Amino acid sequence: MKTIKTLTLLLTLVSTMSYAILEVTIVKKQENAFPIVIAPFQVIGEAEQGATIANIIRDNLNRSGQFNALSSNNVITNKVDFEYWKSVQKDAIVFGRVEQVSTKVFNVDIYVYDIYTKKRLYGKKIAVHNSGIRRIAHYLSDKIYNLLLGQKGAFDTRLTYVTVTNSKKYGKIYQLEIADSDGHNAQTVFKSQHPILSPSWSPDQRKIAYVSFKNGRSEVFIKYPFMRVKSIQIPQFDGIASAPNWHPNGKDLVLTISKEGNKDLYLYNLNSKKLTRLTTNIAIDTEANFSPDGNYIAFTSNRSGQVQIYIMNLKNKEIKRATFAGRYNSKPVFSPDGKSLAFIHRVDKDYRVALLDIKTRDLTVLTQNKLDESPYFSPNGGMIIYASNREGIGILSVISLYNNQIVELAQKGIEVREPSWSNYSK
Amino acid sequence: MIKKLTLITSIFLLSSCADTTIQDVGSKLKNLFSSSDPVVEVADLGEDQIILDAEYVIFSEEELSLFSDEELAMLAQQQGLESLAELDEDGNLQNREELINQLIEAQSNSAQSNSAQSETAVDKLVNSGVSFILYFSYDDTEIDEQATQIIIEHANFMRDNPELSLRLEGHADERGTREYNLALGENRALSVKEVLGLYGLENRIEVVSFGEEKPIAFTHDESSWQKNRRVEFVYQ
Repeated sequence: MKTIKTLTLLLTLVSTMSYAILEVTIVKKQENAFPIVIAPFQVIGEAEQGATIANIIRDNLNRSGQFNALSSNNVITNKVDFEYWKSVQKDAIVFGRVEQVSTKVFNVDIYVYDIYTKKRLYGKKIAVHNSGIRRIAHYLSDKIYNLLLGQKGAFDTRLTYVTVTNSKKYGKIYQLEIADSDGHNAQTVFKSQHPILSPSWSPDQRKIAYVSFKNGRSEVFIKYPFMRVKSIQIPQFDGIASAPNWHPNGKDLVLTISKEGNKDLYLYNLNSKKLTRLTTNIAIDTEANFSPDGNYIAFTSNRSGQVQIYIMNLKNKEIKRATFAGRYNSKPVFSPDGKSLAFIHRVDKDYRVALLDIKTRDLTVLTQNKLDESPYFSPNGGMIIYASNREGIGILSVISLYNNQIVELAQKGIEVREPSWSNYSK
Repeated sequence: MIKKLTLITSIFLLSSCADTTIQDVGSKLKNLFSSSDPVVEVADLGEDQIILDAEYVIFSEEELSLFSDEELAMLAQQQGLESLAELDEDGNLQNREELINQLIEAQSNSAQSNSAQSETAVDKLVNSGVSFILYFSYDDTEIDEQATQIIIEHANFMRDNPELSLRLEGHADERGTREYNLALGENRALSVKEVLGLYGLENRIEVVSFGEEKPIAFTHDESSWQKNRRVEFVYQ
């Protein structure tokens, strides 16, 4: 028995071990964004790899929708022709140098200048290991974003999502993936023949909670993607367990558990391993999401007879309905400032991503698709990632909340879905 | 300066720990293809690695031809064909082609005998034309009169066959969010269970929901959606 299992396993792995790369497309480019030049870096010695830093920064800034980042024809070393750049209406310029120190270590110099005041806004020398190049480029992108816009960037963060591959022999193969915020550096956490749902980064980014059907029904697990330890299973009753979401303290999870058929929200404490029931309504309560301060949860319920979103105050257990427009509103997520909710809103026959100002109840429909799912905010609140589809195949889309620029992350012939964004990296 | 140092170290740390997990597993797997390590190790790498149920696996001739002599001999043993797996002094198969042909035959035979065993009361019910799938309206769990008739036939069948238990699998169409649909699928299966409960059968029924994860029709329109909003009867 064991022999056949392992032989089969080998076959499976050979056929699916291709390296996953998300292909990134900016669908609607915004020309009226902040005009900036990121010059190609000067390369000293065998440091071509390090030169990709400028490209990564340029791509990052363009993806944010808030910058129109271009390259320059020539490398800029130390003299900046401010008058020229002013004449072509650029507001800032970034240039730098990478120098090989040893086979795997580079020195990176980077400068940011304001073209109008001719002032140096930033200058830094950083030693970086080969394997840290992408990471340092994301760190520097965050720096530039913050310097020029006065807001935190969200480039040095990670995504998690699920891919589904159709295999002629084995049916569907589901993979839990993690990648940098730009879709690069994608890595497979695990593969399964059974559906994987709702992956969610823990606040410290060391764990991912998710739903797996590997035992024939939906169960919630916690996996340590960077450690070789067993995954933890959250206890459940006779029905489904699903929709895990982390409390900002990283010690509690809220999830949906069905007991004698009644789907309610429960709090699970990872230290005490205790379950506390939060809702008792006979209707469906699911898809709970913690507010950034941990004092509220927003969730989906059909208690009114329609699918709507509710907010529970965890201190006094008071529940208030949050959505009133439309007959179907589900899967809410709080914005990082706690003031808005993003969720799926039905418009006629279409399911789209919408944004609700919790206080004023203003609702804005953000997307124009038919079957959007799983919205999630970038940790700086500037973007929302969601699952969508292109020609019937699932892709991830990222929409900028400043000007609605959309960026698509797709994998050829493979379904990509269930995105979630990590917190800021520490 | 201190800040810079911590940044660099943290980059080293993070990149190195990200490297170990996936690459480690990857290289470990790569090693498996070339080295003579016992292959069983693969199964220990993580409980979530794909492990296929041997009963459902039938190797094609092409795949069998890719196996080493040693692996073919192991397969032959699984199929009770060890007498055919004659290895010479060097551990090479004497009758490789013949063994492959025999394996193909043995595989299809065992597949047939498996299905022959299960040709029982359930098949009779299938042949009688009773539906094993109930369909539902959008965001609805209501059982209509026609569905009730079908459920009653299943209830009678379960009474006649007390050794059987039933798994009700609830499903939803792709519209709306996955987790809500998972809950909706469970409610659909529960509403069928409720009717069967009137016949005192609830203890023999297990309810499972797959939400929108296991569609049977794949276009993104009502023709598929109506087929996917369903509860399936699975006897065990």
